Amino acid sequence: MRKWSLALALAAAAVPALAHAQPAAPAGALHVDTQYFTLPNGLRVVLTKDSIAPTVTVGVYYGIGFRVEPRDRTGFAHLFEHLMFQGSKHAPKGVFDTTITNSGGVNNGSTRFDFTNYYEILPSGALERMLWLEADRMANPVIDDVVLKNQQGVVGNEIKVNVLNQPYSTWPWIDLPMLANTNWYNSHNFYGDLKEVEAATVPDAQSFSKQFYRPNNAVLVIAGDLDYAATRAMVEKYFGPIPAAAPVAQPDISEPRQTEEKFRSRVDALAPKPGYAAGYHVPARGTPEWYAMGLIDQILVQGDDSRLFRKLVTDTGIAGEIDGGINGDLGNMFNYRGPMLWSFSFTHDPTHSTAQITQAVDEVIEELRSKPVSAAELERARTKMRSALYGTIDGGGRVGLVDLLAVYALFDNDPAAVNRIEAGFAQVTPALIQKTAQEYLRKTNRSVYVIAPGAQAKGGK
Amino acid sequence: MKRALLAFAVLLAAPVPALAQDSFPPAPPIADPKPFTLPATETYTLPNGLQVTLIPYGIAPKTVVSLRVRAGAVNEGDAVWLSEVTGALMKEGAAGKTAADLAAAAAGMGGQLDVSAGMQTTGIGTNVLSEYAPAAIQLVSDVAIRPTLPASELARVKANLGRQLSVALSQPGTVADVALGRTVYGANHPYGRLIPGAGQLQGYTIAQVRAFHDGQFGAKRAHLYVAGRFDAVAVKAAIDKAFAGWAAGPAPVMLESPHKPGPQIVLIDRPGAPQTTLRLAFDASRAGTDADIPQRVTNALLGGAFSSRITVNIREDKGYTYSPYSDIDFSPEQALWGFQADVTTEHTGDSLKEVFKEIRRMQTEPVPAEEAKGIRTYLAGLFAISNSTSAAVTGTLATRDLLGLPADWTERYVPAVLAVTPEQMMASARAGYPIGKLILVVVGDLKTVVPQLKAQPELANVPMTTVTVP
Repeated sequence: MRKWSLALALAAAAVPALAHAQPAAPAGALHVDTQYFTLPNGLRVVLTKDSIAPTVTVGVYYGIGFRVEPRDRTGFAHLFEHLMFQGSKHAPKGVFDTTITNSGGVNNGSTRFDFTNYYEILPSGALERMLWLEADRMANPVIDDVVLKNQQGVVGNEIKVNVLNQPYSTWPWIDLPMLANTNWYNSHNFYGDLKEVEAATVPDAQSFSKQFYRPNNAVLVIAGDLDYAATRAMVEKYFGPIPAAAPVAQPDISEPRQTEEKFRSRVDALAPKPGYAAGYHVPARGTPEWYAMGLIDQILVQGDDSRLFRKLVTDTGIAGEIDGGINGDLGNMFNYRGPMLWSFSFTHDPTHSTAQITQAVDEVIEELRSKPVSAAELERARTKMRSALYGTIDGGGRVGLVDLLAVYALFDNDPAAVNRIEAGFAQVTPALIQKTAQEYLRKTNRSVYVIAPGAQAKGGK
Repeated sequence: MKRALLAFAVLLAAPVPALAQDSFPPAPPIADPKPFTLPATETYTLPNGLQVTLIPYGIAPKTVVSLRVRAGAVNEGDAVWLSEVTGALMKEGAAGKTAADLAAAAAGMGGQLDVSAGMQTTGIGTNVLSEYAPAAIQLVSDVAIRPTLPASELARVKANLGRQLSVALSQPGTVADVALGRTVYGANHPYGRLIPGAGQLQGYTIAQVRAFHDGQFGAKRAHLYVAGRFDAVAVKAAIDKAFAGWAAGPAPVMLESPHKPGPQIVLIDRPGAPQTTLRLAFDASRAGTDADIPQRVTNALLGGAFSSRITVNIREDKGYTYSPYSDIDFSPEQALWGFQADVTTEHTGDSLKEVFKEIRRMQTEPVPAEEAKGIRTYLAGLFAISNSTSAAVTGTLATRDLLGLPADWTERYVPAVLAVTPEQMMASARAGYPIGKLILVVVGDLKTVVPQLKAQPELANVPMTTVTVP
C-alpha cells in the first residue's frame, strides 16, 4: 500500500502553473500527521499542520453530550452550549463573536450525543487571540440571569423553528432514539421540553459548568497554517493555568440487547404525507462488527446503487429518496460513544401501507442476512466509504478533519487512529458482513416509527 | 469521595493559583491576515462552444466533475417544473445504461451521480476518487447528452416530485418564498412561478420532457468544471472524447425581470403558529455594478453576518428569534435583497420595529471606522474560508460565469471589499433599503400578528393583501 501524506499532496498543490500540475496521488491509505500531547491539567491537544489556505481551524470539544443532562432539565446540555457564547470574565458578551467576525473568521457550536463542540475558522494571524478567548470561556464563563433569559428565548425560538412550527418536527431524529432505547439517557427528548428549558436557573448552569466544562474533560484541536512549537507554547500559556476538576463520572448509558420489535405511530398535525423510519441498534464502536456495519450501511442505504434505494425507490416507487446512516441524523458513524442506531427514513404516499413497506424492507434485509455479499459489491462499498472519508478530511474549513481528530482524542485518547480507519474497513469479509447482519439486522432488534399525516396535502395531484 | 478526588486533581493542576483576579494574561494582538488567492485555472472552449475550466485544488485524491447547462426554470415557459421532471428523469438511464448501471458506475468511482435542475441551470456532476476522473467525465457526458428519458419511469418521477412539493408547502419558509416571488416578479414570470399549479405537474408527458431536453440542452449553453487533484492530460483527452460531438444547440436566454414596486404587505394565515415567518425585500444592484461591492459590505453589517447589527439586536439582545439573516440574491439580469427570520409570534411587531431601527441607523449614522474595518475584514476572510474545497471553488467560479462577471472578478473581489468606506456604506443603505418601498411577506397567526403590524408606523398605511399558497 502506498501512503499518501498531506505533506506530499501539498507539495503538489503548491505548484502554481497548470503545466506542472502533478497527477493525482495513487490511491492508498490516508495519513494525517499530528502532534498530540496532554497538559498537566488533563487537556488533550491535537495539532495538525497544512498549507491549504492561510487559515486555522480551532475545535474545542467537551466530553458532555445531550444524552447526559439533568433529568428534570431536558434540553439543558444544548441550552448550556448557547450560554458558552455569552461572554467570559475578560471578554464580555459580544466580544467573542465580534472578535472572530472582525478578524475575518466564522464560528459555531453544536450539541451532540456525546460531546458539545465549539469551532472557529479564521486567519492564522488571529490564532493566539482565539486561544485566549477559548481559554477564558473555559476558565471564567460569565453566566447570569440576563444572558440566561436571553438564550432561553433564543433556544425556545430554535425549538419552534426546527420542531414546533415544522412538519415532521421530531421525526425521526428524536422520535426514533426515544422509541428504540430504554435507558433514560438515550431515550429522552434531548432538544428539550420548552417548559424545562425555560425552568433552568443560573445555579443549574454553574454546577453544570463546574462538573463538565473542565480541561480534563476537553480536547483542543488546531489544524491548518500553524507552527507546531509556537502553537504548543500558546496552548500552554493560555490553557495550562486552568485548574482541573474531579474526573467526570459518566452515568451508565448502556442499553440491553433488544429482543422484541417495537412499533409506534403518531399523527403529525403539520405533515402532509406519511413517513416511515426504522432503526436498529449497532455493534459497539471500534469492533470488527462495527466496521462491518459501516459497510452494511453503504450496501443498504448510501447512494443510488444501494439495495434499499433500488428496492424502495427504483423498483417499487415507494419512496423518492432515503435518508439514513449510523448516527445519520446528527453526525456520522465515528463521532459518538455509546449505544447508537443505524436508521433510515423517507416520506411516501398513502397508496403504500406500512405493512407493504415493511415487507419490501424485509426482503432486502433478509437477503443480506441469508446470502453472502459478492466481492464486487463489498469492494464498491469500501470505495464509497473511502471516498466519503477523504471528503470528510478534505471538507470545508477543515471542520470534518478537526471533528475526526477530536472524537478519536476524546473517546479513545488516540487521534492517530484516524489513520487506521481504512484498515478497519479493509478487514471486513463477506462472512463478517453476514454474521453482523444476522445479529444486528434481526427484526427483534428493530424499531419502526411511522408518521400519519394530519395535514391536507397541497400542490395538486 | 468527591472531596478526595478534588484534592487529587489539584495536585495535578499546573502550579498556578486558581485564577486570581489578574493572573489571566492580557489579550494578545491579532496579526494582519495573509493574502489568499484562488488557484490558477485554465479555461478553454471546444469548437462546439462548450466552455471548460480546470481547477487543480485540494489535498485528498478526489475530483469534482461538474457540468452546468443553462437550461432550467427560466427556459420552461408556462410548464413550471418541467425542467425538474427532465432533470430527475435524466438519472434514469443514459447511453444504453439503466439507472442501476449509472448508479453502480458512479458508486464504483466513489461518487454519486447528481442531477439538479435550478432556476438558471441544470447541474450534472459527481465527486469521485481522482483515478476515476476520466471515467466520471464520460459518465457525466452520457447523462447530459444521451439520456434515455424512459417513459416507463415518468409516473414515478412525477409522483416523487409531487410528494416533495407537498412536504415543501407544509413548511412556512417555502410558503413565504413562493408568496415573495409572486409579489416581486408577478405570477407570470419564472421567478414568480416557483411551484406548478394544481394538476400541472402530473400532466407532463414524455414528449414534453424529451422536447425540453432536445431543445434546451446543448454545448453552447454549457460549462464544464473539473476541480481537485487530477491528471490534466488524461482529463483533457477525456473531455475531448466525451464532449466534442455534442451539438451546439441554442445560446443561453436573457430574461427581463422588472420588479413590481412596493410598498406591499402580503399576509398568509398559519393559525396557531408559534412563530411568524418573515421575508422583507428591496431591489438590489446587479452583480458587478459599481454599487455591488458596497452593498455586500453594507448587507453583511446589517444582517448578513453572525455579528451583524440585526442579529445582535433581535437575537442576542432580545431573544425574539434564532435565525435572522439577510442576503442578496443575484441572477444575471437582476438582484434582490432579502431579510428573513422566524420570530416569536408575540414579538412580530417588536422584531420589525428593531429591523427598521437598524436600517435607519445605517442610513443616518456613519459606521464607526473600527466596525467598518471589521466587517470588511470579515468578508475578505470569508472568501478564503468559503473557497476551501474543490466543490466550493467550482461553485464560486460557476456563479461568476453565470452572472457574466469578468474572469478577474475573483482576484478583484477582496481588494474591492477592503476599499469600501463608511460613507459608501451609508449611501448604499440609503439607496438599498428604502423603507417606504418595502415588500413584506408575513406567514403566521394573523389574528395575533396583524394588529402588531398595524401598530408599526412604517406599516400602518401600507396596502395589505391576504393570500393563500399554493
